[in-house]
Amino acid sequence: MKKILIVEDDKDISIELKALLENSGYEASILTDFKNASDEILRNEPDLVLLDINIPYMNGEMLLRDLRQKTDVPVIMVTSRDSEADEVLSMSYGADDYITKPYNPTILLLRINALLKRAAASSANNSTFYRGMEILPQKGVIKYNDGRDEMLLTKNEMTIFMCLLAKKDRIVSRDELMTELWNNEEYLNDNALTVNISRLRARFKDIGIEDVIETRKGQGYILV
Amino acid sequence: MKFGKYLKDRLYSVIIYIFVIIAVILLMTAFKSQIELKITVGIIITLLWISEIFIDFFRKKRYFDEFVNNTQNLEQKYLVMETLSEPSFYEGKIIYDVISDIDKSMVENVKKYCHATQDFKEYVEMWIHEIKLPIASMTLILHNYKEKYPDVTERMTHHVNRVNNYLEQILYYVRSENAQKDYIISDCRLSKLIAAVAVKNKDDILENNIDFQVENADADVCTDSKWLEFILNQIISNSIKYRDEKKTDGSVIKIYVIKNDKSTVLNIYDNGIGIPAADLPRVFDKSFTGENGHAYSKATGMGMYIVKNLCEKLGHKITIESVKGEYTLVSIEFFKNDFYKETLVLRNIM
Repeated sequence: MKKILIVEDDKDISIELKALLENSGYEASILTDFKNASDEILRNEPDLVLLDINIPYMNGEMLLRDLRQKTDVPVIMVTSRDSEADEVLSMSYGADDYITKPYNPTILLLRINALLKRAAASSANNSTFYRGMEILPQKGVIKYNDGRDEMLLTKNEMTIFMCLLAKKDRIVSRDELMTELWNNEEYLNDNALTVNISRLRARFKDIGIEDVIETRKGQGYILV
Repeated sequence: MKFGKYLKDRLYSVIIYIFVIIAVILLMTAFKSQIELKITVGIIITLLWISEIFIDFFRKKRYFDEFVNNTQNLEQKYLVMETLSEPSFYEGKIIYDVISDIDKSMVENVKKYCHATQDFKEYVEMWIHEIKLPIASMTLILHNYKEKYPDVTERMTHHVNRVNNYLEQILYYVRSENAQKDYIISDCRLSKLIAAVAVKNKDDILENNIDFQVENADADVCTDSKWLEFILNQIISNSIKYRDEKKTDGSVIKIYVIKNDKSTVLNIYDNGIGIPAADLPRVFDKSFTGENGHAYSKATGMGMYIVKNLCEKLGHKITIESVKGEYTLVSIEFFKNDFYKETLVLRNIM
């Protein structure tokens, strides 16, 4: 399980954030000792840090600069300051991403997921496996039968499939799928989403793999 | 300064002169002076009087003409005292000193209000950042309880979003009304910004069955991404708010980009209720709500005013066309990069 450290001085937000992350299958912890923040962060060995700019003792930007001299753990800056200048400044100190409060929780999760994937991709190679199939999302291709055959997916189908795969064994709501699609500049409506999902099912059925996506009524879909 | 008016003003001097001449001549007649002497004395007095009048006139004319001219030529008229030196004559000195004093106290007074406005602006910005924290908490709580209480959380989320939109509006209002630059111009991909705004409005768009289309948006423009995102969000929320539910083929919002030699134009089209022709020229005016605004009672009339203001600051040209009951089309024209390279020096923030 990926470990995410929350560095945030607003108690209510950190508690809710922890709940959000835990519901989404991450291990979340909250930093309590801000005095030796950068040492504390290192001791926690997180896979990703959510760093607020307004924290006690030193501001988030200074902490980030300090942190960057010791580790290259992915950092998402979280702040209520939202001007372009603040963003550029944070990025120049070495933040990997920047999101402003109040954020759309689904978007935050997408960003976290993307960043973790990117971090993993730099250490391992870029393809993902599922039920013996090799998935190449950039090409929109799924290889099966030990790589002898190929199946092409449309951008929408691939986006949906990758979203389900990233949260394997968990229910993914239609809203989450929709946000992911819209975020990828595919502006589908409700009917189109349903159509795309049944088409995706049909594609897997064609190559002999049944029951890939299960519908959970009123909740969403799950990849099994 | 005109001589005629000056002389009229010095009428007492003319009267005194005539009186003196008559008195002197009468006096000299009484003493039985010769006619030549009378004429000589008369000429001397007249010359003295004329030279006094002229010296005084030209001294004042030189000063006051400069005063009037400088005032007329200056755009900021209150700066006129800076262009003048102290006059050499007494009345001029009095006026100069008094106006200088008035000037100084005015500057101080204006400065006081500048500071007050600046303080207020800073306070509002700080306040907005503060209030975003509880809103962030609420958003997270609502998301965490979505499965447990789907109905309540959905309705609450809608309202939290509304609160957030109003907050954004005042934040950008404060920013747009103030002269300093808090923006950074850089190359931005339009499709990315559109996606960010689309996701923000996704629930409203889907709920109202609006067909949301984006075409040819893979274009880069020079702008501040945060400001443009706000601008787009205002325009798209208007498109959603003023949709026409009576349209048989359903509501449409269509965003498309047209590139030409000197600029890139972002168009936001909707087939909503449109804007009456009479209201159209005034939609960018401050506090203008128009027929639609009254009918929908949710309009503050500030959104489009702020949008126009921000566009002007960024150097984009915004235009709107509409036919009532048919469509509304908002276009934002971004001029090519070299415009910025030549005229704008990016703020060095490092």
